Amino acid sequence: MERPPILEVDALSVALGGREVVVGASFALRAGARVALVGPSGGGKSTLLRAAVGLIPAASGAVRFQGAPVTAADWPRVRRRVVLVAQRPALAAGTVRDALAAPFRYKSAGGASLDAARAASLLARLGLDPDRLDDPARHLSEGQQKRLALARALLLDPDALLLDEPTTGLDPAATERVEALLVELGAASGLACAVVTHDRAQADRLAGADVVDLSPHLRGSPP
Amino acid sequence: MIPPVAPLAAAAAPVKAGAIHLGPLDLLAAAALVALAGALSVALRLGLLPKLAVAALRTVVQLVLLGQVLTWVFGLDSPVVVLLLMLLMAVAAGHAAVGRSSRAFPGILTGAVATLVVTGLATTFAVTTVIIGVDPWYEPQYVVPLLGMVLGNALTGVSLCLDALLESLDLRRDVVEMELAHGATAWEAARAPLTDAVRRGMIPILNSMTVVGIVSLPGMMTGQILQGADPTQAIAYQIVVMFMLAAASALGSIGVAFVAFRRLFTAGHALRADLIRPRGAAREARRRS
Repeated sequence: MERPPILEVDALSVALGGREVVVGASFALRAGARVALVGPSGGGKSTLLRAAVGLIPAASGAVRFQGAPVTAADWPRVRRRVVLVAQRPALAAGTVRDALAAPFRYKSAGGASLDAARAASLLARLGLDPDRLDDPARHLSEGQQKRLALARALLLDPDALLLDEPTTGLDPAATERVEALLVELGAASGLACAVVTHDRAQADRLAGADVVDLSPHLRGSPP
Repeated sequence: MIPPVAPLAAAAAPVKAGAIHLGPLDLLAAAALVALAGALSVALRLGLLPKLAVAALRTVVQLVLLGQVLTWVFGLDSPVVVLLLMLLMAVAAGHAAVGRSSRAFPGILTGAVATLVVTGLATTFAVTTVIIGVDPWYEPQYVVPLLGMVLGNALTGVSLCLDALLESLDLRRDVVEMELAHGATAWEAARAPLTDAVRRGMIPILNSMTVVGIVSLPGMMTGQILQGADPTQAIAYQIVVMFMLAAASALGSIGVAFVAFRRLFTAGHALRADLIRPRGAAREARRRS
């Protein structure tokens, strides 16, 4: 029997401030697969991603993780398997090392701890200086913080990533590094990705034929 | 237990000669002091005269009314009336606490009032029944002024704590949400904002505990000494009062932080930052951020 998708977003509708933003949007993520989600900017793609991991309550529709609906108490555990990386990184005060280690102090870490050597090599892969682990994270440029947030997500060993404009604001070299890493991890460990992007070429590079046009389901998010 | 020899509100059982009685003429003389301040304001064109006049009038009217109410309540000897008065005081304190906060959320008033009712009554009765041993337990001469002090401090704690918590959840919602997205429970993600906020609520009482007797002479102690009470007794009461106020600040801050946490995070470990409504200057700050 075929295994159920890691994450299945089924006819999800979201309202913000009493206004419908997303109406009946669906997508599914299987192991190793990459899906590009495209649609008008300001349309509500970010809202859909946040609702897909329960950070905004859905008005209707369902989110299933490995075939089962997610209950309220399950969200921290599920969010560790399906990690949302927001468009704008929002790191707490502290060093780069603090930022990477923080999620391992959470109950959902189940006793796992930060592998410093792996962290360093991952930072290097993303074009960040692995010797700057003790610098304040907020001293990094926005583009660097963005890659740091991605590294932080990857160190959790997730089954899937939900990436919101992962390369916006990055230079072409850094963009290439990020894309190459995602493709490599997909092949090596079955990491699945849903990528929200306004860049159609990136959508084709990352997801090939699996581009979901969300336009019919987006009503625009409030300003 | 401290023997209840030095009453807190009305004059009784003075150790020395007792308080010098103040008559209407003495109050009129005191009014001359305010008038002097008013005259200075006019001479220096500070434009404070109308405000000063209104404030002076309010002081007189509010305190005279309070005197009437207290005299009436003291005379009734009814636990129900005392409890009703205490509830009324706590509700008023809740209103004041919320009014000072620069952000609000639906249910904030109920939460603040509930926190102050519980904090106020629990702390006051803990002191009057367990430590001072007031008999009967509702003796308004003790219970009402102590509650007033408790509420004054708890309300400061509640409003500072709320203000700090709502500010950090409003302006740093992305930070909290990133932790949630990386597997934090609501409690884990809110921990830093919560502890910071409770700390902020406790700062005034910690400060006044540090300088008490050195820089400041507490009003209640001063009042008792003016009334002729034995200074050691006045000090014993003041120590009890300071500890009581510390407990009230802590309970009030922690209580209201918990209420806000329950309201602003969902069972599904999501932050409802959309429920936070900035008021006045905070609205500007949010727009700029």
